[in-house]
Formats: sequence, structure tokens, C-alpha cells
Amino acid sequence: MLLGAAAAFPAEPFVILDRGQARALGDAASHAAPTIVALWSSECVHCKKNLRRFADMAKADSRLRLITVATEPAVDGLSGPLDRLGVPGRRYAYGAAPPEALAYALDSKWRGELPRTLFFDGRGGKAAVSGVADEAAARRHLGLSAPPATSETRLRKLKETP
Amino acid sequence: MPLRTTARMLVVAALALAAGAACAQGMGRMPMPKAEYGTSAVFAGDGTLIAVTKQGEHVMLYRSPDEGRTWSPPAVVNAVPEAISADGENRPKILALPDGALLATWTRPLGKPFSGAVRAARSEDGGATFSPPLTVHRDRREITHRFEAPVVDGAGRIFLAWIDKRDLESARTAGKGYRGAAVYAAVSDDGGRTFRPEVKVADHSCECCRIAAAPDTDGVPLILWRHVFEPNERDHSLARLGPGGAPSSVTRATFERWKIDACPHHGPALAVAPDGTRHAVWFNVKEGEGRVFYGRLTAHGVAGQRSVGGERAAHADLAVAGQRLAIAWKEFDGERTQLRAEISGDGGVSFRPLAVAQTAAASDQPRVIGRGDDLFVFWRTEGEGMRLFALR
Repeated sequence: MLLGAAAAFPAEPFVILDRGQARALGDAASHAAPTIVALWSSECVHCKKNLRRFADMAKADSRLRLITVATEPAVDGLSGPLDRLGVPGRRYAYGAAPPEALAYALDSKWRGELPRTLFFDGRGGKAAVSGVADEAAARRHLGLSAPPATSETRLRKLKETP
Repeated sequence: MPLRTTARMLVVAALALAAGAACAQGMGRMPMPKAEYGTSAVFAGDGTLIAVTKQGEHVMLYRSPDEGRTWSPPAVVNAVPEAISADGENRPKILALPDGALLATWTRPLGKPFSGAVRAARSEDGGATFSPPLTVHRDRREITHRFEAPVVDGAGRIFLAWIDKRDLESARTAGKGYRGAAVYAAVSDDGGRTFRPEVKVADHSCECCRIAAAPDTDGVPLILWRHVFEPNERDHSLARLGPGGAPSSVTRATFERWKIDACPHHGPALAVAPDGTRHAVWFNVKEGEGRVFYGRLTAHGVAGQRSVGGERAAHADLAVAGQRLAIAWKEFDGERTQLRAEISGDGGVSFRPLAVAQTAAASDQPRVIGRGDDLFVFWRTEGEGMRLFALR
């Protein structure tokens, strides 16, 4: 339930994050598929670049799941940046728990800088990266260095199969 | 402590109202209000503790005659409601001026993301009433003018420095790149009734970290901010401001060389001792580890630099009183947020640790303030309200 597949637009409403959910989001054991957990806030001038890049990656590769976490409450208008950038996937926002407790539960090494991104390869691997992400590095962290198979390449592979 | 309880109840009621207002906007689920606990405190000339914070669309002023044990009913600073920033690195601020007046400052968010106006209002009756607030800067565009830092110089002039994005906007319009934001400053020669036109202090500040300000030993204002050095090193710069606000010197102050395109939301603090020593605390990532650092800023680099607290120490502040120096910070231990301090009686050569308080709820950043030879830490928390702790 927690880690649903990336939703097609129109987007999901915000889910209010509690400590248990935050711990699960940050735990590699929770992610059975390549997953990006993107932490962002409306006060972060660098976050849009990551959200746009991750949205494009998720739309182009059905193997990848994208989850966003707004590190602030879901006040009116918070979804605006996600909607404008067409960011798919489950959306979390901070709730009543103290922000420091949620931050610690998500990523005990994180010091509050944004953007912060957790990459999971779906096989127990995890990488936490601060700042604007490089797509090639992101793909490496996700175990998705090879581009997604298109219908054409899938067909070619079928033909090549003896 | 009925008055203290009253102050807490007012804060809780304001937050409940904010929650109700947001809910009425049709979110479809109960939203949480922003945790806006940003509060500042200062001792007035008569020793009264004064605190300013946000409630709804008002800056509110509280007075305590007994070091925070009891608080007066609040006074409204801005009679006409307006948006006020008090989350994260933002907070209303209060200055006790040499002429006995008080000056409140805050950032008013405008409609566009990251936009704001720096506001100021003066009280000549101890905070009972304030003049209508004025916007400090001449530039009235709906862009960033935020994170104001006030300081009074030796001649009683008020300097206000802030993060300003007019140069970034101009560069964008011209199709050019621009690193970070800028720092601007404006000076008031008449106790905050009017301000001279603002001047640029420096290009390429970080976008959303609080600025630190303190008078040098000769009364000249010093400001310390997180800077974006080429290509993207987020260290700090120190400037001495001339009489009109333009800097007479700007120097690099820290050297961790944290290369990142990110918003740390974690500004520095600065205090100048009577012997001229410039004590500072700041946050940076060094060799992959984010730490709070203490050091003495000199013309030849940082002296005595060391990390402060544990690996989750955050948002440190400091103040001096003669040879006494106190640093306070908060640190989440996995369950609670601890308020910790270090006290030095020998000008920062040696320190003694002190566990001050803790909370299980949300909290503001701690503020270290002084009164004569005494140092205190002021801390507002969601659960416990506004508290003051003597640092002895």
C-alpha cells in the first residue's frame, strides 16, 4: 500500500507522512523495484530541476517508481510545482510529527539541505544524494544504467531469440 | 504561572485558527499548518525580556519582567494584517535602540514563490504600540527581499541587510546566468522612521540562509552570510559595512568548499568580543559529513576551528559578554530534540558543555542573548512555549 506504482496524471492527493511511513520510505527493504524518493519543498530553488528530471525519467521508464515527499505541510497550493512539472507518483507531505523526527526517520544522515534524494535499486541497494542530481549517476544508483526497452527493441530481441 | 499559560494558549489558538482556515479552503483532507515558531528575543534597556513572534497575520510582542517565567498579554505590532514569514530560517526580529525605542522587522511574503518585502515598525512606548510598518527598500518588485538582518552601529544608525534577487532577475531578463542571489543593505539615520535607498553589499549569496549581523568593536556593522563561490562552493563571506551600507571590505570567512547545488537552509551566527575577536558558528559539509563548526574569523583564515556537538547538531547561535562566550544549538537524538550549549569563560580558548533542555515536539532555532555580563538562551517550542535559560 505504501509504495504504490507511479500514478498516471492527474496526480494523487498528498498523503500526510507519519514516522512509520517515513521509516518505511527510507528503508531499502521496502522497495522491491527501482525507486526514487525525492525530498523537496516550496522554499527550495534547486528542487524543481530534480523534480522535472525525475518526472521525465519515470515517464520514460516503466521500471522506475517515483515518490515525492514535501518537507512541509500540505497547505493550499503545495501541489502547484508538482502539477506544473507533471510529476507522477505518490505524494507525501509532512504532518503533525516534529519535522526533525520525520527527517531522521527518512534519512538519519540528512542535514536538511534540499533537494535530497534517496535512490533504491530494488535489490537492497540505497544511495542518498544531496543537490541537483545527475541523470547518469541517478541511473547507476537505481541499477537502471541500460535504457528502457522500447517495443521496437523488445520485438528485435524476440526475433533474435533462437 | 497564569500569564505564561496565556501566552502558550494564544500560540496554540493561533495555530488552530490557521489550521481551520486552511481546511476551509477545500483541501479535501485536514491539512497541517506550517510549523512557524520563528521567534526573536532581546533584553530592553530596563532589563525586560521582549519577544516577537507571528500569530496569524500579525507580529506579536510579548514582555517578561522575570526572565521568561511570566509573559504579558501580547501587543500587536502591525495593526493591519499581512503575511509574515516565521518558518525555518525566517522570523520576526526586535531591536532595542539606543534612544530607548524598539524596532521590529520582518519579511512579508508576497504572491509569487520566494518573493518578499522587508518591513520595519518603530515603537516609542516600550512596545505597546508601533508606527505603521514601512517597506525598507525602494525596489518594490514582487521578487526576493527576504531574510533581513538588523544591527545598530556605534552612532545609533540602523543597518538592515537582506537576501535580494533583483540582479538574478535582471540576468534572467537578459538571458544570462547568475549564481545565487545578492545581499543588499539599507541604513536608517533616524531610528527606523525612514531608510536611505538600499545599496548592494555583494553578488552571489546563497538564496535562503539567515544572515548574521553584529557590531565590530568600533561600532561598524559586520555581516556574515552563506555565499556561493565559483563554481558552487557554499562557504561564508564577511563584510564590514560603510556608513551608507556599501561594504568597505568583503572577505571569504570559511573554507569547507562544500560544492553543491542545494539549499542548506542553515545560516551562520556571529559575535564580536570586546578584544575584537570575531567568534562564529556555521554549518557546512566537510568530507561528506555535515557539521556545525565554531571558529574565530581572522584576516588570515579561521582560528581554532572545531566541530560543535554531535553529527545532528544544528542551527547554532552564539553571543559574548566580556570574556564569556556561549554557543547553543539543537540536536535531535532520534526521539527528542535536545537544546545544548557550551560556555567559555576565557574568550573561546576552552569550553564547558551544558545540557539545557529538550522537547518531544517541534521547535524554533535557539537564540543566545545577553544582558550585561549574563548570557541566556531563548527557545520556543511547540509543547513548552517561550522559555529562557541562564547559561552559567
